[in-house]
Amino acid sequence: MTYLVAAAERRLADQLPEEPARLRRDFRRFNLPVQLALAAATDVVPAAEDPASMAVVSLAPCQNGSPELYRWAEAAIAAGSAGRFGATRMNPTHTLHVIDNLALSAFAIAYGSDGYCLGVGGAPGQAWCGLEILCERLAGGREREGLLMAGDQTRVADATGSRGVALLFSTQRRPYAALGRAVELVAIEHERRPSPSPVVAHAAAGLCDFLGALAPHGAGPFAYEVPAEQTDGIDHVTLVLQVA
Amino acid sequence: MKAAHRVVVTGCGAVSAVGATSDAFWEALLTGRSGIARLPRLVAAQLPVTVGGEVAAVPVGRADRDVILANRAIDEALGVARLERSAVGFIWATGLDTYQEGERGPVFRPAGSCFAALAHPFAEPRRMVAAACAAGTQAIGEAYWQVRAGHVDACMAGGSSCMLSPFYIIGFAALQALAVDDGDEPSSACRPFDRRRRGFAVSDGAGALVVESLDGARRRGAPVLAEIAGFGMSQDRFDLNRPPEDGSGAERCLRRAVEDAGLAPGDVDAVNAHATGTRAGDLAEAAAIRRFFGDDWPGKPVSSLKGALGHAMAAAGALEAVAAVATCRTGVVPPTANLGDPDDGCELCHVIGRPRQEDVRTVLSASFGMGGQNAAVLFRRPA
Repeated sequence: MTYLVAAAERRLADQLPEEPARLRRDFRRFNLPVQLALAAATDVVPAAEDPASMAVVSLAPCQNGSPELYRWAEAAIAAGSAGRFGATRMNPTHTLHVIDNLALSAFAIAYGSDGYCLGVGGAPGQAWCGLEILCERLAGGREREGLLMAGDQTRVADATGSRGVALLFSTQRRPYAALGRAVELVAIEHERRPSPSPVVAHAAAGLCDFLGALAPHGAGPFAYEVPAEQTDGIDHVTLVLQVA
Repeated sequence: MKAAHRVVVTGCGAVSAVGATSDAFWEALLTGRSGIARLPRLVAAQLPVTVGGEVAAVPVGRADRDVILANRAIDEALGVARLERSAVGFIWATGLDTYQEGERGPVFRPAGSCFAALAHPFAEPRRMVAAACAAGTQAIGEAYWQVRAGHVDACMAGGSSCMLSPFYIIGFAALQALAVDDGDEPSSACRPFDRRRRGFAVSDGAGALVVESLDGARRRGAPVLAEIAGFGMSQDRFDLNRPPEDGSGAERCLRRAVEDAGLAPGDVDAVNAHATGTRAGDLAEAAAIRRFFGDDWPGKPVSSLKGALGHAMAAAGALEAVAAVATCRTGVVPPTANLGDPDDGCELCHVIGRPRQEDVRTVLSASFGMGGQNAAVLFRRPA
């Protein structure tokens, strides 16, 4: 049994949490999607029984980098066209804005996490893979709790559409804080489409929309059909839930 | 949960700076030859570092070079295993987002678009792994767990990377992680565990393994190249840029891989090390391997392929896995290219100069990623 017990969404950089101190100190090294993913994770961690031992799956942004890195790349390309690529200088901190597993590493450092950990890449639809991985881990009895976090942006040039989201799952039946009811994730169903469908690359948006659809739901079964543009374009994906 | 299925490798593919097939790759590794060279395009761009491990077989200049590299390795592995894409899952690591050389200048290539271009023909699951330098090894480990648990019969696993671009050369140089040119011998720029090591050399490449249940392989009459006996992972929980000096995070990872196999460190015959040639990383890894083996370490051969291949990032662990499979099959451990004078603190049973011909049956292949994410796969010769 896998139960959703807490979730959080972050959209603004000025809401970064003060604790844990180590995480706060490191925030400047991350791009905004990673900051927001970590901030959302920090919001749900208090609902966890043992953050150090839970399974953690982190989604890399589909749109990596940062406005600073984008501006540097534009300058480098311009310099390159004049044969002077090597004359450009990069702030080493900005290099980290493109490393894809930093949210996972930062979380581990901040919370002493050393259980199962996986960075899922920034390809469209990987959010549902991340969810599936956590379900497999919890159903297999390997861990009792699992965290899925994601951050992304729509446009790197100005960090438009930056969002972070985190979902905490448990094998123990506990009420989902936002509904006050137990929400069991029963299954994640896939069915191959006859032909590929267009997608929108955003690691966090799909999970946020799922939470939004769940919010008004009363007791009973709930089948959430993931919008085609939020899948990998290959499969229909349906989340099958039971709200107590 | 204990495994219901034994897991084997039934196909390998490799595209690297020293060879564009797995056989050519392995033969080159045994010679100790390095594929790292001074690259005219890096010299022309006036970069602070002008060496790298370029795959000559796939020319630079196409924006989809990452997909071409990956597909070559995937095609080779599937050919050996005699399987089609539609019959296997796909767990794959790609490099980071970057700009590729297009016909009209640099073209932005998100890593996810490379994965998406590769994934479509494959069966479920189609999962992309992002774990920096540990990604290729982690992808193989995830595939192993999928097959062992019975979720799939077979899975394509590995990684590809196409990050030998001016953008990453400048970025990694800013982090002071790269080996600068070494006089007139650019091929010796990367020197894992050596006293004169100065960092790594970026390279391109792809490594692919078909990971399959032993039962399935037997049913199909497929070749069994090696068994995957265990997988382990850990987090350093220490620092984003450097490992703990005592290698404790890496050691936990190695230990978990053998525990997953129901074995002990003494059962491991050899280690395929991550060692990239950085000052801090190699020291921590050597400490981890010594701690892992305890008093047995002087008799356990260790080699790193980075001196020959350079660091192929997400492909590194996958290429090293291809070599580990070859070691299990042949018993031969390749030498660490460019290692002549092991540094203080890097004491290990190094393989220097020529391959070591022993009856090696069990190889631990390890990758330690930036940020402290560690992964190790234990391969062994099938009984």
